[in-house]
Amino acid sequence: MAAKNSLNGCDYLMLGFDHELRRRGFAGNSCQIILELAAPISPDALCRRLDTLLAAYPILRARPGGLLWPKWNAPRKSDPVPEIRTHRHDAELRQRLFNEPITSNHGEQMRFDLVERDGGKMDVIFTWSHALMDARSAEYFVALVGREDLPMPDANAKPPARPRLPLRERMKLAWKNIHQLDEFCKAAPRSLGARRPEAPGVVRHRVEKFDAAETERIRAHATKFCGPFGAAQFHSAVGVVELHQLHQRLAFPSASYVLPIPVALRPKGRVDPLFSNQIIMLMIQFLPAHLASVADAVAEQRRQTEQGMRSGLLDSGVMLAELFRFLPLPLYIAMVKQGLRGEICSLFYGDTSAVNPAVTTFLGVPIEDFVHIASITPSPGVGMVFYYFRGLLRVTVEHSSQALTDEEAAEFSARLRARLLDP
Amino acid sequence: MVEPAQIETDLLAFVQREVFAADAGVTADTELVPAGFDSMSLVRVLVFVEQTYGLWIPASEITGDSLRNLRALAGTVARLLQARQP
Repeated sequence: MAAKNSLNGCDYLMLGFDHELRRRGFAGNSCQIILELAAPISPDALCRRLDTLLAAYPILRARPGGLLWPKWNAPRKSDPVPEIRTHRHDAELRQRLFNEPITSNHGEQMRFDLVERDGGKMDVIFTWSHALMDARSAEYFVALVGREDLPMPDANAKPPARPRLPLRERMKLAWKNIHQLDEFCKAAPRSLGARRPEAPGVVRHRVEKFDAAETERIRAHATKFCGPFGAAQFHSAVGVVELHQLHQRLAFPSASYVLPIPVALRPKGRVDPLFSNQIIMLMIQFLPAHLASVADAVAEQRRQTEQGMRSGLLDSGVMLAELFRFLPLPLYIAMVKQGLRGEICSLFYGDTSAVNPAVTTFLGVPIEDFVHIASITPSPGVGMVFYYFRGLLRVTVEHSSQALTDEEAAEFSARLRARLLDP
Repeated sequence: MVEPAQIETDLLAFVQREVFAADAGVTADTELVPAGFDSMSLVRVLVFVEQTYGLWIPASEITGDSLRNLRALAGTVARLLQARQP
């Protein structure tokens, strides 16, 4: 087993969410990448490639364990290896596969589903447990599976250094995050997550694809509203404005909307450590008055982001996650449950920007298109992931059936698309 | 008066420490966007400039040209600092 066998605070958070999602009847905290290939690949070739990677990275079939200090337990010979299954395409297959649990506590950290489509094409659906790695890592990993020419990252790579402070200072820093959540409660958000408690615990998604002209148009809007680096800011502002409109249409008022913006902790220009979650959330609260227009939402988001950076909220989030890691696991899970019972955010939002440029071919077959699907916590019930594949914008819009009907979700997705094109 | 060269040195040290990987080889001439610089990186740099020089770079100065690389950004900061001197 590689020396890197402990989980960091963010990995731990992902395990906590996984536990709670399963308890609520959902599949768990897993994510998917779908590669739409121009031609089929051989399951045997994939199996051989995975064998090589399993030898290099035993963590791929490790089980999370430990009590006070969680860690990855080295796999036993009897533990499963990643499963490779084949299917014939049908309209509901992708939705079914995303809602199949991954038994990560038994060493199943990932799975590959090969789906034969008409015209001799194939989808490769890669599902992984979110506790194992974040989306950035998963993009590199899937490239690594598909291409033997890529460098293999060091299995023992150290995570980026965070501030090493005395415990008292770390506690003070962590407290800022808790104080921020207390402030949010003065106008507590009410999410759509438990609006339809009678519905089954199922997550569904649709992918909005934009062609080159549409992508260029959206980029131009982003530059106009948010400056040359503001695409993610524009996307999330449009998303939260549209969420407010959705709440109004459903006559489901909320005093505010809390948007958790995932911030990558990985230094730019580097992807390792590969099997790790290196993200932290910057929480932004919008009152309905901030959401009269996209420009208003952008201004409020910018104000709170700058304020959060000035006051060290990012480091505060890191400290809070790291301190939680030293709580006994049952107590930690209880805290996650408590957090999910309350309304800690209104929208799941991810923005992975450009897909890793190494994702070009898979076992020699050209990749025609790419889809990200993230797990969605039932608390918000609605989520969206933005990414660019070969320069074209894609948005995966997700909902839990306990939040929205499929018709409501389809309308939300269509309106989001329209507002991105015409804010 | 802070010299542009000093600003460039300060900015480079900051982004090498806080934004980019140590082995990414970022220099004052590295094009920032292709190297992975994003909106959060920008806010970090803006806050660093504010805390170091007491200057908040206005949105109108955040352009593709001024953020092409750290040399260009240092030039922008130096110009704004000079403009506000009595």
